[in-house]
Formats: sequence, structure tokens, C-alpha cells
Amino acid sequence: MKKAWFVGVALVAPLALTACGDSGTGGGGATGGGSGETIKIASLHPLSGAAAADGQQMDNGAKLAAEAINAAGGIKSLGGAKIEIVSADSQGKPEVGQSEAQRVIQDGAVGIVGAYQSAVSANIATVAERNKVPFVIDVSSADSILSQGYKYTFRVQPSASVIGQQGAQYLFDMSKAAGKPVKKVAFLHEQGPFGTGVRDAFTKKATELGFEVGPALSYDAASVADLTTQMTQVKASGADVLAVTGYYRDGVLVAKAVNSVKPPVNAVYGVANGAFDLPQFPKETGAAGEGYFDANYHPDYTKQTTKDLAALYKSKYNDDIRTGAVLSYDAVRVLADAMERAKSKEPQKIREAITQTNLESLMAQSGPIAFDEKGENKGAIPILMQVQKGVVNQVWPADLAQAEPTYPAMGG
Amino acid sequence: MADHQQGVSSSGVAPEEDLSTTQTATVGQSRRLVDAFTRSRLIVVAVIATAVVLAYLRADSPVIATQAIVTGLLIGGVYGLVAMGLTLIFGVLDIVNFAHGAFLAVALFITWWLVSSMGFHPYLTMLATAPIMFALGYAVQRGILSGAMGKPLENQLLITLGISLVLENALLLFFGANPRAVALPGNQTVGVLGAVADLSRILAFVGALILAGLLFLVLQRTRLGTAIRAVAANDTGAQLVGIDTRRIYALTFAIGTACAGAAGTLVAPLVTVEPSTGALFNIVAFVVVVIGGMGNVVGALVGGLIIGLAEQLGTIFLPGQSPLLSVFIVFVLVLFLRPQGLFGRTS
Repeated sequence: MKKAWFVGVALVAPLALTACGDSGTGGGGATGGGSGETIKIASLHPLSGAAAADGQQMDNGAKLAAEAINAAGGIKSLGGAKIEIVSADSQGKPEVGQSEAQRVIQDGAVGIVGAYQSAVSANIATVAERNKVPFVIDVSSADSILSQGYKYTFRVQPSASVIGQQGAQYLFDMSKAAGKPVKKVAFLHEQGPFGTGVRDAFTKKATELGFEVGPALSYDAASVADLTTQMTQVKASGADVLAVTGYYRDGVLVAKAVNSVKPPVNAVYGVANGAFDLPQFPKETGAAGEGYFDANYHPDYTKQTTKDLAALYKSKYNDDIRTGAVLSYDAVRVLADAMERAKSKEPQKIREAITQTNLESLMAQSGPIAFDEKGENKGAIPILMQVQKGVVNQVWPADLAQAEPTYPAMGG
Repeated sequence: MADHQQGVSSSGVAPEEDLSTTQTATVGQSRRLVDAFTRSRLIVVAVIATAVVLAYLRADSPVIATQAIVTGLLIGGVYGLVAMGLTLIFGVLDIVNFAHGAFLAVALFITWWLVSSMGFHPYLTMLATAPIMFALGYAVQRGILSGAMGKPLENQLLITLGISLVLENALLLFFGANPRAVALPGNQTVGVLGAVADLSRILAFVGALILAGLLFLVLQRTRLGTAIRAVAANDTGAQLVGIDTRRIYALTFAIGTACAGAAGTLVAPLVTVEPSTGALFNIVAFVVVVIGGMGNVVGALVGGLIIGLAEQLGTIFLPGQSPLLSVFIVFVLVLFLRPQGLFGRTS
């Protein structure tokens, strides 16, 4: 009987851990304070669980946006009404995100920003649609979320297909400019919809541009412990660039594996990689991460407002701001801007106003934030970053660059 | 209590049970039993050998297969190390310890803290992590779990699950969610039969072997170890000969937790230190425990190696699949051939 128990437990352990993993620290949130009325905006992010680092950053970003708006006089067309951020914890789980979205709407939130994981965002989008409350996605890349014809969901970041296509284009242009045009790309990616979506878009564009993508190798981001074997496969393939799509922890494993196996590639090239463009990455990997590229959505640090936000974040939370927090900041600004123009806090009217958005972004974009009929941000593009002497610099395209790209970036 | 005893006597943990069965059986029967044991183990060895040969045939170059085997064995050692504490606790206390991964995470953070703020060498911190985790394990067993001893398994399971939630979220609260790293001074890449491996991984592997040996010696050669094995075999009997079973329960849980502490220190240079890092090892550790034979320390080590190999060879046979797929294929296969685990007979 004991044995049967243990075997049963071992079999259901993955399920059990998913179902009753760490419970969150929901509730809380910033106070609007002051006189006059307050308007609630929900910030729904993974505050606990494996993505807690990003989730907490994004929640902080949303709070900073509300503080900035309130300090500047609140929503002026509504008599200086203050924004109150209601923080909620999705725990990174779709079903929790869905129930929390329902809860915050019943609590009176007139808009939601969130939610990091695409699967969570997809569920929140259905709740937003049913309740006719606008949902502004800060981070979640899956194209499928906005291909359902939703009217109440908008996305600030570029979608997976935009990042994948632009990533291939940048690699082609940059390597050509450096006199060593890319010929063959080995693509290593996490196996979920995020990784495969980016890979497919990248491969399609690469074929158009005339360079080869293969082999494509994948891994499970949740459980991977070592990527040395995959890296040996890359080494044997004869590829001259290694493209990588994944999250933070696995990105660090990639750097460790590249450092031990030393595949003869000109560059390690992240496409929407969750590690290579973060300030924490060069700190953790040291020399091993030097020269890594990442084509990803990114705050535009050539703008003074973005620099100010980064400095404010550092002083307030004693941490380097991540891209996600800037996107959450922008997402709250989109909602506040829509309320200002709609002169209303009715969710339906806010939604109408969001479709007419024309707002300067803190992100590196090709233009201001404006949404197409699907709800995608028309101005959203990825840019190319590179780790140079332990610092992540914007290197491509030229008008958004802080420094010249170094290509080939690796000894091989 | 009766339920508890029944659980022990019906398990493959108790060596006496299997031995007595063999003794009372006729010679022919016993030979058949022994044949069955060796046969199923031979099958497992044959399956592994076939998998290795196929990997060489299937891989684009032999280096890839060699790399998969080297990496698999090195990771497997770490899995075995984590599973050792788990299997010991299960064998003696009958507790499915869901908090094992969280204990490992606590040890990771202690290691990180000692290295980053006190400047200790990462491996030296084991002198702190193992005793601290030993004390924590002792306190947890005495304070929280002792009341649930002998109660239905789900009681203890829920308690340990609760402990893991508390520990993980306490780490999240105190240290924040930002990833941290423990760097090993002098870490370099070493060539192994044409493949490569980080020195830190090789040292973790060697450390796992040494700890397994130590644990094995403690269990086999000391009075405490004998008492622990006696309680595992029959706790009422152990009580009758004067063993303080409550103390043995607490000590065993403490030793198991100290194993998680030592494992935390050894794997610290290999992983990103986050509150949820320990949970990564939980699922694999449970599988390793069942494959190796529940309650068997050496079995845990061998099970870990098999799972490590399965995971890495899986990337060659089943490209693009989760490593857990090949792990569970092996798991089901072993359960089919030897439901009591590879080393279920001996303790």
C-alpha cells in the first residue's frame, strides 16, 4: 500500500505541483490617496512562482506609472481623479489569472494590464471580452491571443511573429554590413508556443532573405538542467550563427554550455530572448556572456524619459529595471491617456478611446503607440542589443543605436 | 499505528521480508526468484546498452553521443544526490516529503549568502549548510511532523507540501525574486573522452559519490545506522528492543534534510539560485526514488544515473520533446519490469 502510494505520488507529482504550487500574495496595491475620486486599474502579473522576478518588476512598473500620473494632476478631464493600481497575483497559472481577472473586475477595476505568460493572457482576454473591460497586454508574445477578433484586448509589445521576422532581417543586415553575411543559423529554442512561434517566423523570413535555418533544437524551459548535448549538436552542424529563443534561467545555461563546448559560430544571437538583454545577464555569466546579441523589444535608453524612469526605479526598488516593467508603465499610460480623452471611466468608452491612441512610448519603437484593428501596437518593433564589456547596448538599427555592433562577436 | 506497520511490511524496503520469503520458500522457488531479480536487472542493463549503441548510430557525430552520455551521468549524480535524502526519509518515516526541494532551495540561499557576503569558498559552505539543514530538519520533524506520524499518508503529504510553500515564499519575501549566481573560483572546462564538462559538474558528481558512500557506511556500520534500519524494517520490534523510535524518526528526517543541504551546496555553482529552483529537482527526485527502490540509498544513486542518461539520450532519440518524456518512459518500463525498484530487495 505504501508503495502504491509513492508510485502514485511520483506519477501525479507534476500535476499536483502545478495545481497547488506556491500560493500567492494577492491583494495589496498602491493607494490613490488625495482628494477626489480614485479609478482602479488592475495589475495582474505572476508575483509568485518561477516568473516572480519579472512579475514583481512589472507590478512595480505599473505602480510607478500611476504615481507619475497622479503627481502630474491625475486624470484632468475627470476633475483630477487619481489612478489606483490594484495588484493581483496570477501565479503564472492560466486558471488563476482568469479567476483573478474576474475578481478585480467585480472589485471595480476599469482596465487590466498584464500578464507576462501568453497562456495567462489568453484566458484574461476572454474574461475582459465577456465583461467588456479593456485589457492592455504589456508582455505576452503569442500571436494567437489577438487572432480571435477580440475587441477589448490590446497589446503594447510586438508579437512573436514581428520579433521573429525583424530578428532575421537585423541579422541579415548587420552581418552583411560587417562583411560576413550569415549563411547558416542553428536555432535553439524553448519548446512551447513562444519558442516555436518565434522560430517559425524567423525561418520564414530567413528563407526569403536567402539564408538557411537548421538544425532547430528545442528543450523544455521548465526542467532543463544542462544544454551541453544540444550545444555539441550545434557544433557538429557547421552553423555560423546560433540563434536562441527562451527565458532567463535557460539563457544562462546556454551561455554556460557555449562556454564549455565552444561551437565555432560568429555570434550567439537571441531572438526575443528573456536573458541576453537583461542587465542581470552579464553580471551572472561574466565573460561567458560577452558579445551576445538579442533582437527583442527594449526600452529606448536614448530617450531622457526612459533614463529617468530607470533611475527612479533603481532608487526606489534598489534594482535594475527590466523591459517588462517599462512595458507595464506604458500599458498603464495607455489606459490613463484613453480615460483622459474619453472624459469617462466607463470601460466601454475607455475601449473606444484606446483605438484612437497616439501616445509616445518609452520603448524603442518605429513610431508612437497606436493600435490596428486587431489590437496590435503598430509602432512596436524589436531592436538589436549586444552585451559589450558587461553592459547591454542598443546596436541596431542605427537611429536607435547607442554603440556599434561587434560582429563577429566570438573568437570562432 | 497498525496502518503504518502494515505499510512497512508490505513494502520492498524491508530486507528481512524478502529474505524470509526466500528462506521459507523451497530451493526451486528461491532460485526462480533470484533468476527473476537478475533477469529484470539484466534487461535494464541491456536496455541501457542498446540505448547507448543506438545513440551512437542515431547521432550525427559520435561526439554528440559521447557528450550526451557524459552530461547524462554527471547530471544523474546530482539527481541521485538529491534523491538520497528523499529515499531515506521515505524508507524510515513513511513520509512522502514534498518539502525536499524547498529544503534544497534554503541550502542554495545559505550557500549564496555565505559566498557573496562572507567570501567563503562555495564548497566550504557545506560545513554550514549541512548542520543548519540537519537542525532545521530535526526541528521540523519534532515540531510539526511528529504529531502526524502513523496517521494516513495524505496527512503528512499535505503538511510537507505546506512546509514547502512556506519555505519557498519566505525565501521570496526575504531575498526577492531576482536570480542569483554562485561562481566557483577556478571553474573551467575539462575534456572527457572527446566530450567536455565543467569542473563544477564533475566535482558535484564526485561529491555525490562520496556522500552516498558516507551515508551507506553510516547506515551499515554504525549503531545509529543499525537503529535506523531496524526502525525501517519494523518499528514495533525496534521499540521492543529498546530503540527510541521517536528520536530515530527525528534523526533520520534531519539526516535526509542535511543531504538536501549538502546537495544544495554542491549544485549551487550549476544552477540559477531562485526560490523556485529546488522545485525543479522535486519531480525527478521522486521518479529516481521509485526507480532505485524506495528507501534504498545506493538505489537512489543508480536511479539518478539512469534518469540522467535517459534525459540526455532522449534529446537524441526524441528531439524537441521534453526531457521528462524519456524520463517517464524509463520510469514506466522499470515499474513494469521491477515494480519494487531496481534495488528494492536489498536495503
